Amino acid sequence: MTDARTVLGVFPDEKSAVSAVWALKKTPWTVKTVYSPVPSPEMAAALPVRPSRVGYFTLVGGILGFFLGFALAAYTSLQWKLIVGGKPVVALVPFFIVGFEFTILFAVIGNVAGLIHQMKLPDYKALKNRDPRCTGRHFGVAAVCPGADVDKLTEFLQQKGAETRMMP
Amino acid sequence: MSDRPSRLTFEAVEKSVLATLTPASRRYWAAVGLLGLGVLVGAGCWAYQIAVGVGVAGMNNPVAWGTYLINFVFWVGIAHSGTLISAILHLMRASWRNPIARAAETMTVFAVCVAGLFPFIHLGRAWMVYYMLPVPNQRHLWQNFQSPLMFDVVAISTYLAVSSLFWYTGMLPDLAIVRDHSKGAKKRIFTFLSLGWTGAHEQWRHYTRAYLFFAALATPLVISVHSVVSWDFALGVVPGWHTTIFAPYFVAGAIHSGLAMVLTLMIPLRKIFRYERIITIEVLENVAKTIIFTGLIVAFAYGTEFFMAWYSQNPVEMEVFRYRLTGDYAPGFWIMVMCNTVAPLVFFVKSARRSTRVLFTVSILVNIGMWFERFVIIITSVSRDFIPHAWGRYAPTWVEFGIMLGSFCLFFFLFIVFVKHMPSVSMTEMKEMLQEGGGHD
Repeated sequence: MTDARTVLGVFPDEKSAVSAVWALKKTPWTVKTVYSPVPSPEMAAALPVRPSRVGYFTLVGGILGFFLGFALAAYTSLQWKLIVGGKPVVALVPFFIVGFEFTILFAVIGNVAGLIHQMKLPDYKALKNRDPRCTGRHFGVAAVCPGADVDKLTEFLQQKGAETRMMP
Repeated sequence: MSDRPSRLTFEAVEKSVLATLTPASRRYWAAVGLLGLGVLVGAGCWAYQIAVGVGVAGMNNPVAWGTYLINFVFWVGIAHSGTLISAILHLMRASWRNPIARAAETMTVFAVCVAGLFPFIHLGRAWMVYYMLPVPNQRHLWQNFQSPLMFDVVAISTYLAVSSLFWYTGMLPDLAIVRDHSKGAKKRIFTFLSLGWTGAHEQWRHYTRAYLFFAALATPLVISVHSVVSWDFALGVVPGWHTTIFAPYFVAGAIHSGLAMVLTLMIPLRKIFRYERIITIEVLENVAKTIIFTGLIVAFAYGTEFFMAWYSQNPVEMEVFRYRLTGDYAPGFWIMVMCNTVAPLVFFVKSARRSTRVLFTVSILVNIGMWFERFVIIITSVSRDFIPHAWGRYAPTWVEFGIMLGSFCLFFFLFIVFVKHMPSVSMTEMKEMLQEGGGHD
């Protein structure tokens, strides 16, 4: 749609917002995004939501972390091949502990990196295109339509119980 | 007429929490100033120790580990229940933890910060701390990663990093709420801190997933960290320390002390910030019930230690435990037993669990008892080692007392500064609880 316009409907509760999303799916218009003060399983069920890929970052971080931790302990130990406490120079059990702690550390770093990457944070520009009430108790549904349908879409959202406004 | 409060709503939660972020009273700043003074006392004592040398502390042969390491273990222990509440109870879907999760996480972060100072203080020459870090150096020397002390460096650093990231990530939606209710400089600060959070479903999709992973990773971490701390002792062949029970014993003790500190912090917070409808008595009651459980585990561990000493018939081990019971530090031992295992039994009585005075009193007793537990474990073992003519006694000096005072003041200073400037209750998690129908009536 070259002349696509976005209308934001702000709903007073989750139920009416979810109902509006289900109803919008039966129209030619599309749901661009939904804003909510809490994660909403009902809304997730109504939207075409793919599973988050953050977990891949976490997994890669964890695997890297384990090998990094173990390798650090082994490398430093091999610099001076000194027998300590009767254990081998590359002692598996104690070095596993270092590997474990690094696993957690790097998995969490991967988790945060994944979160930042997937959510594209920081994203201060996004603040201009939303209604601040949606971090409070309201639910926002942003729907896209051709320019000619703006009035119809606005009326549709209002009938579903929303206050509406145009989004840039 | 029913005195039951009306059901909480999203607005009521926001109103209660945002009301705490209004400009502070003079009494608040007086409290901040007083605690700041305590921090300065501690810093002054540390500066004196650096200038004169670590000999100003009471540590000497045979007791080379004194109050600095007692405080280190104490503060790491305090940190643990914050993670228990924020991560483990989150995984268990125990929504009663939502009202206290933020404050408990905050407690964790600040307690680890305070704990992390003590190895520096204990070093004496604090500027030599890089000896513990694996950085390439002209001496071509590396750390011994077979040592539990190096496990500790890795574990505590990891714990501080993970708990800080978990804490900040968990605050993002709340920082956005504060942003949307602020003006001027405050709005700019919270806009920056909230990283552009809008509550879009795409954000929630990644956020809820990442939060779950955080909780899943923090859970084994919290268990490993205090196990590693226990191995600082258990991997040494010192009577009273060299025992396999130490890891679970320390983890249970850590959670016991941390839960007590949660009550110590929550009860005044609830009163001062008028959070009675959010942090309900049922929430505090649940913490008390958990304290009964951890107290019984700790009591079992105390008993097991004595049984193992007797069952081994090892004269050195038996002497150490006889000494704990009746020796120079016996008052510390009995304070430990009474405060940690006997006092929490009062929570078997429902009316005691629902009385904030009793809850607060017992929480203080458990805090005292858990400090003495670390004192008893560390001091009695090294002061009565294998060779009787090398036995000795230890008493902290004014420098150690000053630094200890400073550490407590620093912890409470950071906490009260936080709760007045950041949302001390997770509004989002409270809303989630209400959304799921699990709210307080």
